[in-house]
Amino acid sequence: MNAASSVFSIRLYAKKHPKLSITCVLLLLSWLSVPAYAQALSMINGDAKKTLSINDLRQKSDITQTVFDPYQGREVEMRGLEFRRFLIDQFGDVPPALRFTAWDDYEVTLGGWHDPNWLLVTEEDGKPLSLRSRGPLRLVEQAYDDQRDVEKLREFNDWIWMIRSIEAKW
Amino acid sequence: MTPKAPTPLQSTLSSPAYSPVKRKKRRYVTWLSLSLMSFMALMVVIVYEARWVYPEIQAYFSQTGNLTGQQLATRSRGYLQGAQQQLLGEQPFEADSIQTIRINLDLAYGLLDVEVYRQNYSCTAPSLQTINALSDRIYRGTVTSVDAASELLEPIDCLTRIEMSQLDLRGMAINAFSESTRRHNQVVTYSSMVIFALGLLFWVMHERQLRRAERATEQTLAWMERAMRDPLTGIGNRSALQQEVMAKEGTSLALILVDIDFFKQYNDSMGHPEGDQLLRCLASLLKDVLGEQATLYRLGGDEFAALLPCQNDSLLGDYCDRLTSGLRGADLQHPAHPDNKGVTLSIGAVRFDAREDAFPLAYSEADKALYRVKSAGRDGYEVSLKG
Repeated sequence: MNAASSVFSIRLYAKKHPKLSITCVLLLLSWLSVPAYAQALSMINGDAKKTLSINDLRQKSDITQTVFDPYQGREVEMRGLEFRRFLIDQFGDVPPALRFTAWDDYEVTLGGWHDPNWLLVTEEDGKPLSLRSRGPLRLVEQAYDDQRDVEKLREFNDWIWMIRSIEAKW
Repeated sequence: MTPKAPTPLQSTLSSPAYSPVKRKKRRYVTWLSLSLMSFMALMVVIVYEARWVYPEIQAYFSQTGNLTGQQLATRSRGYLQGAQQQLLGEQPFEADSIQTIRINLDLAYGLLDVEVYRQNYSCTAPSLQTINALSDRIYRGTVTSVDAASELLEPIDCLTRIEMSQLDLRGMAINAFSESTRRHNQVVTYSSMVIFALGLLFWVMHERQLRRAERATEQTLAWMERAMRDPLTGIGNRSALQQEVMAKEGTSLALILVDIDFFKQYNDSMGHPEGDQLLRCLASLLKDVLGEQATLYRLGGDEFAALLPCQNDSLLGDYCDRLTSGLRGADLQHPAHPDNKGVTLSIGAVRFDAREDAFPLAYSEADKALYRVKSAGRDGYEVSLKG
């Protein structure tokens, strides 16, 4: 659905149902204010590059887990995909290392992704992640041990925010 | 050169029945284990240092290149300043520029919207509201670029204060960590030195105990050696003979019993000191004639025994011949000999396989042969064939 067709439809119904029309206008405005950027994830495997829609990833998200997010200082209901399985689906296997590029141009190469504990988060408390909430994709651990001090953010510096692309390093 | 056969005494000491060393062993183990435990404790301290303390230092000082390597506030400020530059550019409200500005504002918002900032810096929440509202107004075009850029000054100022404060906190944390590391290092150094000194001390105690035990063993050996020797002639006694037979179990041996004829008369006429001298002289003669392979024993009074390897009876006869002819060659005088001869010997010999149960029989047969020689007029030998 695009904005032009929406405006046309609202104008048709405005005369018969004024209240409903106002509601529709407000909904349309809120939809228009949703940023159209940061809505894709690039997957790079050698020379092959493909782009996945964040919306599709949200649809495929099948794990919901309540995790204490030390950056927000509270428990958050995170929804997403098991990252290990996602890698196998995309690359056929879990690469020894992955190079991540974030929307804030942060880049890092990390290994050890066989652990099924890693969750590729797409939604938080029922809302899609955006750049403002350190999305649109974020990698977090579904569970971490009590030894980690949630007051020390440096202990969570392996969580990766604002993921824009993932490159397999074989 | 043939290796020398062990003496009866050596054989005795190697037997499991002898256990003074065993009895003292527990004490060595105590000192030794204390010493080893000290050195192990030292190793544990070193491993602990390497395994736990070093990563702790890394956690403080090796944050470059990861998520918290640079302050979130610094990164957030960078994006706000990026948005400001864009707003003050030539055409800030073109579609591309607006998108860039909004991305910058969103990134700045995401990096500032952290609980620790909200809790500790009161300017955080108003700054987030400003960024949020401004992003919306820029999108709707209800603000001029200059106004928008100036509205961002307040959040930038807030972020600068956060940065400064966080740097101070980080500095304090590093100072505190450095101080605690210094204290920790002192404790580890001194405790390592104490543990090392204790290890050395225990080792010295162990060595001292070992030397003391060695001295005690040597004394015991000397005592046992004396207990197995005849003090007059320096050769073994009856106990040593039995030990030697047990030590050579399974080999074919010859037992030669030697008795001086009319020794009482010799003593009576020459005196006991001369009698003792004759005994010593005879021991020396037996040794010379039978050679190194024979071990000699004084069984009491004027009776001697020789034990030596022997494979057949004719060889045993040869030994006896050598003894009688050797004695004649020595020409030892016996002024009280009833037959006016020099010193003569009665010799009984037997060959046997060395076994604990075979020895008494062999001894008895040699003794009988000796007494048959005496009964037949002395000065001769007989080899018993019943060994």
